[in-house]
Amino acid sequence: MRDRTTAARLDRATCAALVTAVLMPVALGLIFFYVPNDADQGFSQRIFYFHVPIAMTTYALFAWGALNAARYLWTGDLSLDLRSYVPMHLGVIFGTLTLVTGSFWAKVSWGTWWYWGSTELNTFLIIFLFYCAYFMLRFSVEPGARRSRYSAVYALLGVGLIPLSVLAVRIAQDALHPIVFRSNGVNMDGSMFLTFCVALAAMLSLAVSMYLVEMRGKRVDERLAQLRRLAQEAA
Amino acid sequence: MIDESAVRSVAAVYGIAWVATLAYVVILNAKLGRIERQLDELAGILEARSGDG
Repeated sequence: MRDRTTAARLDRATCAALVTAVLMPVALGLIFFYVPNDADQGFSQRIFYFHVPIAMTTYALFAWGALNAARYLWTGDLSLDLRSYVPMHLGVIFGTLTLVTGSFWAKVSWGTWWYWGSTELNTFLIIFLFYCAYFMLRFSVEPGARRSRYSAVYALLGVGLIPLSVLAVRIAQDALHPIVFRSNGVNMDGSMFLTFCVALAAMLSLAVSMYLVEMRGKRVDERLAQLRRLAQEAA
Repeated sequence: MIDESAVRSVAAVYGIAWVATLAYVVILNAKLGRIERQLDELAGILEARSGDG
């Protein structure tokens, strides 16, 4: 039974990695050989096809982590604590990439690495820093149910910032940061939207691959620690 | 005519994304190395124990 479960997990991770291996070159091909230059921003707009999918993946990871945190608080199943922690960890990695890629785009488009007047930038930074602090909280508490509970509550509090961030941008009507997805549709042509969708799918499948691999690593770590304890007790 | 600074920025963004992915693989590899060492240690404990028995 155990072997079958492990094999199924391996298959899922391998499948996700294979999907990523197919989607990522397709996305890069579309970005550099298919999609036309943007009329307004020119060649530098191609950063959009990596920057925005990375940002969306960050939000998806934080939301997935928060959902598992809620499930943990509801059921008390300790495995859900790990399923909440790993997406938070990956979310911070993708969040760092969002900030770095966004800064490059800002430099080439606005002439500055960061613009403090942009609501979208600032709210993203707040969410990012909030989830960076998640690790400080988590590792300042002894491992166990109390740590899992605190982490889950913190993860849940943070996810409320995501819709607030999206709403704040709409309310502020930020003129500098471009808003592509509006309530009346998508503000780009068909080829750009197709390229964006493929890039988003590639980034999401990369995140899923990383999530599955990291989860396996954590599980192996736990099993190994368990075996070491047993071996030391028996010795 | 493509702006050179735009090309550099786009290359930097895509380069950073790939470097980050590679760094992740390197970190995973280091972690696998640690797990391998712990397995060796565990095997050593069990071997010593079977030798005593």
